[in-house]
Amino acid sequence: MSTTGSALDLAAEPASIKWRQYAVTIGRIALALALLAAWKIGADRAGPIYVADPVKVAQRIVEDMSSGALLRHIYVTLRLASIGFAIGCLFGVALPFVLRRLPRLTNAIEPYIMASVGIPKYALVPLFILWFGIDDAPKLWLVGLLVFYPIFIAVFAGVRNVDRRLINMARVAGASEAAISREVVWNSLLPFFFASLKIALPRAISAAIIGEFLVGNEGLGFLIENSRQNFDTTGVFMGVVVATALVLIINGLLVWLDRRFSAWRPTDRDMEL
Amino acid sequence: MAAQPLLEVRDLGKRFAARAGRDAPAWVIQGLSFSVNDGEFLTIIGPSGSGKTTLLNMIAQIDTASSGTVRFQSQSAPLNDPKSLNPGLSCQIGYVTQEDNLLPWRTTLQNVLFPLRVQGRLNDKTRAHAETLIRAVGLAGFESHFPHELSGGMRKRASLIRTLVYDPPVILMDEPFGALDAQTRAQLQEDLLRLWELGRKTIIFVTHDIAEAIALGDRTLVLSRAPARVAGEHAITIPRPRDIRGIMGHPEFGTLYQSIRAQVQ
Repeated sequence: MSTTGSALDLAAEPASIKWRQYAVTIGRIALALALLAAWKIGADRAGPIYVADPVKVAQRIVEDMSSGALLRHIYVTLRLASIGFAIGCLFGVALPFVLRRLPRLTNAIEPYIMASVGIPKYALVPLFILWFGIDDAPKLWLVGLLVFYPIFIAVFAGVRNVDRRLINMARVAGASEAAISREVVWNSLLPFFFASLKIALPRAISAAIIGEFLVGNEGLGFLIENSRQNFDTTGVFMGVVVATALVLIINGLLVWLDRRFSAWRPTDRDMEL
Repeated sequence: MAAQPLLEVRDLGKRFAARAGRDAPAWVIQGLSFSVNDGEFLTIIGPSGSGKTTLLNMIAQIDTASSGTVRFQSQSAPLNDPKSLNPGLSCQIGYVTQEDNLLPWRTTLQNVLFPLRVQGRLNDKTRAHAETLIRAVGLAGFESHFPHELSGGMRKRASLIRTLVYDPPVILMDEPFGALDAQTRAQLQEDLLRLWELGRKTIIFVTHDIAEAIALGDRTLVLSRAPARVAGEHAITIPRPRDIRGIMGHPEFGTLYQSIRAQVQ
């Protein structure tokens, strides 16, 4: 929605507009309460083995936070997700920039890259364990690969989408190829990059958690899996709630960053996730 | 002729690569020859689709010629080899394109300073020069606006001074005032002539407006329909400084207009 549009409406019918804004907020809160209520009713009906009581989950989160145990799990998962993300993101962004300069190589390897998208990465974890042991390495490979693909595909499309006329303008004005990459290509593909981050960042957390299901004795994934094995359904739910909260916080940061970097964009400045 | 021309185009030909499902590529330009002297204001006029932009792209070395030569200061542009092109010939040829091609993520000031920044020539002196130009074309107060926040005329002015700011000896202009209203257009033509008379650059100015070609140029070339070649050449001896808004009343104007009109098909 454009700001001028709402400003005009505001002048015409201030009371009704204000009411509508409140209505949205009230609706959101009501929906959240309804979902919580449904969870609570479901928990009471199904019994604590299947669905944990939300009140107990909240209590457990407070307890484990104050003891520091939960923080440790969060730290381990975040560390794994961040390092894996950094590696995947680095390659996902750098490779299209290299391929931009090598059109023939690009044509040669593109079908292979696209075919490799189809490999189910989670199915590779046993191989990663076989090859890289049971420390961080196999988990980092999993996170890195899952982050790499969406970023690579989006940035690659972004690089191809750069306006030739802007590149020609920059060349005529005396810009070096490096300056063109930095100024024209990079800024042109930022919207593509941010769109891919919206997929890649939550994926990094999910992949880290799944990696921890399979290998290791720390982290949110381990917490969830270990709780399940001990019939501690409350612990499982706590892990899921905390992981969801992490993803939401990261998405919030991302929206903020995207807005900062794309203040120049005329149309979708007001868009949200 | 006294000295060697600054820029020489001889027997120039251009055709684009064929595409599947189409006929063999037609020549857009064929057998085109002309030359430009140092400090000259040459206007080129031709019907739309007559390869005017293609011609400028080849002079600026954004695109390669298929045959013939483009020689600048006795250096020839490479034929059919896009890799060895030198766009802008190391900042000696500036190019104001038909679209403004401003960087949408940069402000007016940043866009104007862009060539200086990438050429490593941004200092207090060049920055002051840029600010003078911004004021000269009425963009003062809009320095921190993004291109989408400017009007079409303002964007044109920004793209014009983005080229002027680094002072290339030759400037190519591709219908720079084409999409503007008559008032803005006359204003910008006056600005351009004033700036040109100060610096005496060599300008090749492409337009489809006969009156504009006469008002601005020392000489006008008329291009034929594709494949483009020179259909006529007219020296314009209306004395400078010229009064853009009153130029139509000049006795020479009517005859020039008629004879150019007859050649533009």
